[in-house]
Amino acid sequence: MNEVCFKNLDKKKCYSLKVYEQSGGYSIWRKILKGELTPEEIIDELKASGLRGRGGAGFPTGLKWSFMPRNASMQKYVVCNSDEGEPGTCKDRDILRYNPHAVIEGMAIGGFVMNASVGYNYIRGEFMEPFKRFEGALKEVYKAGLLGKNIGASGVSFDLHTHLGAGAYICGEETALLESIEGKKGQPRFKPPFPANVGLFGQPTTINNTESFASVPEILSQGGQWFADIGVENSGGCKLFSVTGHVQKPSNFEVPMGIPFKDLLEMAGGIKKGRKLKAVIPGGSSTPVLTAEVAMEMTMDYDGIEKAGSMLGAGSVIVMDDSTCMVATLTRLAHFYYDESCGQCTPCREGTGWLYRVLKRIMDGDGKADDIDLLLGVSDKIMGNTICALGDAAAMPVESFLRNFRPEFEYYIKHGKSMVKG
Amino acid sequence: MISNQAKKQIDVWVAKYPIGRQSSAVMEALKIVQAENENRLSADIIQAVADYLDMPSIAAQEVATFYENYNHKSVGKHTIRICHNISCMLNGADDLVKYLEKKLGVKTGKVTKNGLVNVKKVECLGACVGAPMFQIGEQYYENLTKQKIDEIVDNLK
Amino acid sequence: MADIEIEIDGNLVSAKAGEMLIAVTDREGISVPRFCYHKKLSVAANCRMCLVDVEGAPKPQPACSTPINEGMKVHTNNEKVKASQKAVMEFLLINHPLDCPICDQGGECELQDVAMDYGSDVSRFSEGKRVVVDGDIGPLIQTDMTRCIHCTRCVRFGAEIGGIMEMGGTGRGEDLKIEPFLAEGIQSELSGNMIDVCPVGALTSKPFRYELRTWQMNSVSNIARHDLTGSNIVTQTYKGRVKRIVAKDNDSVNETWISDRDRFSYEGLAHENRLLSPQIKVKGEWREVSWDEALEFAMRGLTDKVLNTGEANKLGALASNTATLEEFHLLQKLLREVGSENIDYRLNIKDLENTVTLESNIKLAGLEGVDHVLIIGSNPRLEQPMINHRLRKASLSGASIDVINVMAFDFNYQLNSENIVTPNQIAFMLAEVLKLILQASNAEIPEALSKIEASDTAKQLADRLLDADNSVIILGEHMVNNPQASSIAQLINEIAQQTNSTTLNISATANSMAGDLTEFVPGKKGLDANAMLATGLKAYILLDVYPHFDFHHPAQAIKALSKKDAFVISMNSFKDEAVAQYSDVMLPIASFYETSGSHINIEGKVQSFCASVSAPSDVKPAWKVLKVLADLLQLPGFHFANSMQVTSEISNQGHKQNVSNKKLDIKVKRSVNVIWQKSPYAVDALSRHASALQATKIGQMHSASMNKATAKKLEVAENDNYLGVPVSIRESVANNCVFVNTNKPIRGEL
Repeated sequence: MNEVCFKNLDKKKCYSLKVYEQSGGYSIWRKILKGELTPEEIIDELKASGLRGRGGAGFPTGLKWSFMPRNASMQKYVVCNSDEGEPGTCKDRDILRYNPHAVIEGMAIGGFVMNASVGYNYIRGEFMEPFKRFEGALKEVYKAGLLGKNIGASGVSFDLHTHLGAGAYICGEETALLESIEGKKGQPRFKPPFPANVGLFGQPTTINNTESFASVPEILSQGGQWFADIGVENSGGCKLFSVTGHVQKPSNFEVPMGIPFKDLLEMAGGIKKGRKLKAVIPGGSSTPVLTAEVAMEMTMDYDGIEKAGSMLGAGSVIVMDDSTCMVATLTRLAHFYYDESCGQCTPCREGTGWLYRVLKRIMDGDGKADDIDLLLGVSDKIMGNTICALGDAAAMPVESFLRNFRPEFEYYIKHGKSMVKG
Repeated sequence: MISNQAKKQIDVWVAKYPIGRQSSAVMEALKIVQAENENRLSADIIQAVADYLDMPSIAAQEVATFYENYNHKSVGKHTIRICHNISCMLNGADDLVKYLEKKLGVKTGKVTKNGLVNVKKVECLGACVGAPMFQIGEQYYENLTKQKIDEIVDNLK
Repeated sequence: MADIEIEIDGNLVSAKAGEMLIAVTDREGISVPRFCYHKKLSVAANCRMCLVDVEGAPKPQPACSTPINEGMKVHTNNEKVKASQKAVMEFLLINHPLDCPICDQGGECELQDVAMDYGSDVSRFSEGKRVVVDGDIGPLIQTDMTRCIHCTRCVRFGAEIGGIMEMGGTGRGEDLKIEPFLAEGIQSELSGNMIDVCPVGALTSKPFRYELRTWQMNSVSNIARHDLTGSNIVTQTYKGRVKRIVAKDNDSVNETWISDRDRFSYEGLAHENRLLSPQIKVKGEWREVSWDEALEFAMRGLTDKVLNTGEANKLGALASNTATLEEFHLLQKLLREVGSENIDYRLNIKDLENTVTLESNIKLAGLEGVDHVLIIGSNPRLEQPMINHRLRKASLSGASIDVINVMAFDFNYQLNSENIVTPNQIAFMLAEVLKLILQASNAEIPEALSKIEASDTAKQLADRLLDADNSVIILGEHMVNNPQASSIAQLINEIAQQTNSTTLNISATANSMAGDLTEFVPGKKGLDANAMLATGLKAYILLDVYPHFDFHHPAQAIKALSKKDAFVISMNSFKDEAVAQYSDVMLPIASFYETSGSHINIEGKVQSFCASVSAPSDVKPAWKVLKVLADLLQLPGFHFANSMQVTSEISNQGHKQNVSNKKLDIKVKRSVNVIWQKSPYAVDALSRHASALQATKIGQMHSASMNKATAKKLEVAENDNYLGVPVSIRESVANNCVFVNTNKPIRGEL
């Protein structure tokens, strides 16, 4: 536990440059500056490590970095996505607060590998404490002469800036995030072209999640194979899981991939006293909900969770006990997507509001017998037809809540009240 | 419309972006100027920011109305931004909203008579392990209980 | 890019790699529904209506943003596609009002059309529909934003074509609202195109609101004559009246856009100020008479005054620049037949010995391909909107644009340099540039330039021209009355030759190219407009002349025309007090769209048009009036049955403007120079009577701009009247210069 991003968590002032360097921090970056590491070597290590994007999509990081046209002459950018906003997710906040230097070093390494001399870390607007921590860390590194132009006459340049969000979940979508850095509404771009070709300010850009960047320095220090071995087949390394909801001790845990869910639940102190596990959303609010039975058999890795019928996502494990009204919970999630839809494309703009209104009507006791079919129909029509994944994210919970807990919805429609809460 | 001090602050952000891309700083510029104007934006302010950053007013208006953190109506000196998303909801956020409304004597979205506080229900603030939680100013308050809320809110000045 | 083959619905189709799928299906005539896609705008892919099935792709792909590649297999109407398209249609309709019966877009609504194919007749949506409160965005465009489907075509139009982002999408999600900045209104000179691009009834024509259904109208192609483009339009008519004008595609002329002036000026046709019946002045009193009587009276007047007295050289003809090619031709032919060469359409020029003669030798479409532009004395955006649009395209593809102007204007593209120069110094500046260019090629420096020491500004301007491979120099309207006008034109001509630049002379507008082509200018024995008025002729034929707007010195002109012994025949489409004062006969003539004829645009393209409607009441097309008058005068060669026969008589050899060989004058003088310009919607009688256009900000332009120093010299202050126009003091005007832009009859004397 706590081997990579949370390595220094138990130390005093773990976020300082001093502590970070004492535990081997910036050694990779210094090697790069000395010319002792090549981009190819780094990409090979990352590929060997099995590190997959920690923001939710799970795309192999080494592969992603290799897509950048590093030899093209134009300005390139590396961007960190710290716009953590997926309900149930709160790991990046802690990385920024407790290990900002790992993010900086990871980004700098990325900049070197992809020949991008400028980086931006997009931090969500509400994260003022993490933002200040990160800014403080940046000051330290600049002062130490580890960033800037032609750093220590190495020929390597890397400037890193923060950009603050202003309250929009959609900016966690990487192209919306780019739009936002450009000072625009966070509306996702259609793809192709992909950011690796046309990204920030129209230039080749790679965007990775905070946790992904923060994992890079340790992976390179210890070796890709070391990291891969921590995890399981197809899910290399360890991963931060935010375990929240109806557990005794909600917390972030950095644990090996493949850990059984029941072990993770136990680490979080188990279900609140006198209650029984009812349902689990394993990867953040956009991922399908699972029943207790299925969840208790599941292992926490990409394949394990997929086998159980959901997705690892950002590793945000939302635990619900038997006091939970699934109608109310889905309504709340539907409201979230309705509230956060950017409004750009038709199915999401019109569909998320429709879903929410039908659920709200059911909650108000005005449900109709065919509302369940209507909900399934509407979510099916959003699914796959939108520019970005928010449409799918809004649709998936509807489908899974209704599939797994349909009687609760039928009861609510019939009786005008919750089967659970009464 | 924009104070010199605000301009200085905005310029720090402008410097982060490539030349000619100064409109990248619009999100922060709006926040900086909003903070100087009783935490709300008006058409004139948005226009001034757009002019300062040499961008179309409507583009600044798009930003000002797209993101959640800008206010277009009067708010209290302090805005209690209480999360009501799933993890907080599972931990009783809805009750706390009601408690706050009762305690302050105002519904969410309205400002207390003395202009001090308003309560706003917000989506996930990314502190789910500390649910239920709210934010006042830059500060997060986590693992809230009614008693804890009393202490925090009673000390707002 | 190489041709590749893809398969669409089982058929092999060849296309260019990288092309978007929708461009291929459109070319092949395969129907793919869409709302946000527009061939002239950037791709947004937001409506999701054009989703098609691409084999191998897990999700349906939008045809508008899917680049094709070799071997791609596409299905445009299988079950998967239909399901997606039906889904999108259902979403679009849930919040769309069912107000088609009262919607002006009804019958030409893209949503309505597609709904017929893809919509469902019963809605499963039982929640409340969204209602959007509208703001007033100006006199031209009516908004009903509850109908908006958020395709953002209008937003993109502003940002990409109009060159100013005026519409935007505020709010987010379901509350996304398309609107201008806090309803401050739309001000672009091309704004009406937003109506054309709007697929639904959210943006419609305000003057046309609730007038008619589209299927009740006849559509007739026509040509707009307000500027040098000759934009192709469709006039939509009902019961003999023009009710609306929309753009007609012609890529080589106006592409798919038209200016607001071209779109909304038709309103003037129905203005109460139209001259509707022939009148003759008997003992100082106007009397309405029949055409026969009026023409008889006119004929007699001419015969008595000049023809029978052997004084044909005391007859003059003046015409406005909006006359058709055929009208110009017939009037000059009539004059020349009776033996007069006193013919002129150049009414606004102070010194006709000193004019900006310069040929135009670049095509409209060619303009967008240049890599450098030097503009001298023009605000092309408001004067020649479609030419400016081409320049904007050139700028967007990387052309550098330098400007030498007497004041700063609001350009909608990036300028490389904007040089604000006192009118008296422009010739000198061009001389500096020429000298540098000659020096660069080691050419001989003429005596006149020998003493010049070139400034840095001139050096930069010269360098740009020398560096460019494909540059154009544009000479604008503000130079026509420059004291050194002909020198300016000479210098430009010389610079262009030395640098292999093309030239574009936009100093005259409307159909003035036709005036040149038909030689509607004095012959060797003839007098020019100024000389005619100065000498005082015995008879005049005036074709649609409005002295307060058309002459550079209205008071003098009116005085000359009002002389007791002068017999004046006026052919006008609108009433005018001054015309009534000096005329002896007033003949009501057809205005735009009421007559057949031809327009010649800046590239020499002759565009003929038929009448879209017949002229109201007793009003006749001018070509017919001129023909009958000639017949009455028993002149040979006027046996025309229609205007096309007139057109074919005119040999189109193109008209070459011979650059003056007057002595170069580059001496900098120190007097205050007044540049007088009609505001953009006051350029001709029709626009001036179009009420919606007049109500716009552009229509309201009326000011005499000058800087503080000039104001001090002239002893005027802000809002004082200068020559009858309110003073506006701004430092963006060159020193010793007053720039007057007026929409009112000129009262003061220049």
